[in-house]
Amino acid sequence: MTSPCPACGEPVGPDDGFCEACGAELAPAAVSSGGAGGAVECPLCAADGRPPAGVSPEGYCEFCGRKVPSGRDREELSVGLAAGVTDRGLRHARNEDAMALAATRVAGEPVALAVVCDGVSSAPRPDEASLAAVRAAAGSLLAAVRAGYDPAGASAAAARAAGRAVGELGGPVGAPATTYTSAVVDGAGVTVCWLGDSRVYWLTADVSGSRCLTTDDSLAEELVAAGLATIDEAMASPQAHVITRWLGADLPEPQPHGARFEPPGPGVVLLCSDGLWNYQPEAAELAAMALPAALTDPLAAAAALVKFALDAGGADNITTVLMPFPPAWPETSPRSER
Amino acid sequence: MTSLPGFTVQIDQNPYLPVGGRDVSAIVTVTADAEAADGAPAAAGRADGSAEIIIVDCSGSMDFPPEKILAARAATSAAVDVISDGARFAIVAGTNTAWPVYPTDGSMAVADAQTRAEAKRAVAGLRSNGGTAIGQWLRLAHRIFESYPATLRHAILLTDGKNQHETPEQLAAAISLCEGSFRCDCRGVGTDWVVDELRKISTALLGTVDIVPDPAGLAADFQEMMRGAMSKQLPDVMLRVWTPQQAVAKFVKQVAPAIDDLTGRRSQTGPQVGEYPTGAWAPGESRDYHVGVQVNVGGVGQEMLAARVSLVASSPSGQQILGQGLIRATWTEDEALSTRINPGVAHYTGQAELAAAIQDGLEASKRGDEETATARLGRAVALAHAAGHEDTARLLAKVVDVVDEATGTVRLKKKVSTADEMALDTRSAKTVRVKKE
Repeated sequence: MTSPCPACGEPVGPDDGFCEACGAELAPAAVSSGGAGGAVECPLCAADGRPPAGVSPEGYCEFCGRKVPSGRDREELSVGLAAGVTDRGLRHARNEDAMALAATRVAGEPVALAVVCDGVSSAPRPDEASLAAVRAAAGSLLAAVRAGYDPAGASAAAARAAGRAVGELGGPVGAPATTYTSAVVDGAGVTVCWLGDSRVYWLTADVSGSRCLTTDDSLAEELVAAGLATIDEAMASPQAHVITRWLGADLPEPQPHGARFEPPGPGVVLLCSDGLWNYQPEAAELAAMALPAALTDPLAAAAALVKFALDAGGADNITTVLMPFPPAWPETSPRSER
Repeated sequence: MTSLPGFTVQIDQNPYLPVGGRDVSAIVTVTADAEAADGAPAAAGRADGSAEIIIVDCSGSMDFPPEKILAARAATSAAVDVISDGARFAIVAGTNTAWPVYPTDGSMAVADAQTRAEAKRAVAGLRSNGGTAIGQWLRLAHRIFESYPATLRHAILLTDGKNQHETPEQLAAAISLCEGSFRCDCRGVGTDWVVDELRKISTALLGTVDIVPDPAGLAADFQEMMRGAMSKQLPDVMLRVWTPQQAVAKFVKQVAPAIDDLTGRRSQTGPQVGEYPTGAWAPGESRDYHVGVQVNVGGVGQEMLAARVSLVASSPSGQQILGQGLIRATWTEDEALSTRINPGVAHYTGQAELAAAIQDGLEASKRGDEETATARLGRAVALAHAAGHEDTARLLAKVVDVVDEATGTVRLKKKVSTADEMALDTRSAKTVRVKKE
């Protein structure tokens, strides 16, 4: 079965990553990059019922002076096999989380992949670091998966590609840094790769089956691992969120963790930043919130998880990505952005 | 059109406000580029756009001692020597009236070797006789300036006495006539003139005021003022401040090189825009301003543009923005962020307090209120010490005996020279800049 290339109209096959005629990428990764340009009129004034006011080149309203929300403040992405929502939250001035999602076919079988990064606020330009990382990683991962490479090797290579992209942001003022989490979901299982404390969960209707697939690179986790504190004690410490590994311009050779999980039955893979799991770290509780909606409408379920974190205080940026397992195209062919 | 140099505008502030906070404060450092945008040195040429008038007090008191009128003549001649070729100039003499000394027809001469020599001959013939009506002098200078359309108009006013032969209202009316027409640096020679009188003129006319206690120092001072005036290339630069609706620009003060409160000089040029005069600028010149804005309260995490500060030049072809900076506000629950006091803001707040303490102390001393004078001048000593303001510390030490400079423990000196008191008064507004790390 073929369909026309959206760029040149020549027929392309369902498994093609690129158009054989014009070279256009057929299903590129969707990235939470904030869209093409800023708002032309201040949405805050519009919400207050005031006449339209212009927005300065720096993104401030020319009438009320408030910073006009950037495209990255809230983004919802869906690529059919995966959907995600990222939100600035209620306490931070900008969204330093980023996500990238892609869906493709390998030998006719659907494969979903996603990358979530949370820029490290204590380093410069964290928002740019996270965005550069997800963009580079998703591009690398998608190309490798399409080429039929083993997901574990492709995931580690993608993390290194992301590391190089973050490294290019380094300068005299310091080294930008970010957490890193990726997941590739195919018909056989889930391949995860991470650095830092953004997490991947397996959520299933079977309450006892839900679990966290990653282990944080954080001081809290190290204290627990070393037997120096219980998890509750460790998380109460002000240093709980100090991460011990990351992707950064100061680290030329990232050593990401990798893991493979083969689910016994249907469920959903959740990638999230600590803006969500701070309010609910328990896999079973997250499963109860996300399921069963996540199986059929992952975008609505991801938005619901973000809303839960906002309602709980929204102290940090929040990113949630959901990928149903086994991956299957929805009845209506791949949805575009909502 | 000659291309105008740009301005670099740097903002030094703590943008974090506590929940419910409304007051945003920033130090704005404005530096005129040394080169025009097209790379040509901004200092080149433009002498034909400059006009200079030297106003010399010729009242009878200038003969007591006679060194004063001699020094005034010498200083005027020395200043004439450094007027650039091509610049317009004139010399005015003042008593209870005023008359043009050179050119005698009340026009302006074009500076060259010949006119400079003629002017110096005319100056050599100056005699002192009569009273003091400074408003009359300013009015004549204004009339002469208006005879030629120069873009950079500057006057030097020298007096040795009090404005006795006209009312304060007459002087005030003359000052307001001249405001915006020309800049004026004022110098008092001897100790019989009144600091407040000259300060009113120099403040309104965007110039400086200082005492020249010894007539022998006058020539060097005049030359320096004239060189400074000749270096100015950019006339009538305005500091434009945009604020969000319902926000108020509470104050705009020049804080370096000297304190000059511009708040009252605001002209509203748009619904959210006010402009403050900064006078003329020389290439490479740098000044600091302290800007305070009160904004509407925003929510935690909200970022707001509290003010946009631009430097605007007017030219026949319209207004041109030569540089701008942004003052921001962000609300946070993190008290470690919102309570942090910006060092630049703290420094200049201290310098403003220093100037106020000196002026209060000298005023109390004049009234005979020794207790207040001791307290205020002691405070000034402590502030000058804390800020590393050595020039002011030295001037203070001539007025008080310092027991402990850190705590500001002082005793008033039994005998203080009037010249020292006046020097402290005129120079109290001079500031030192924050030491950059």
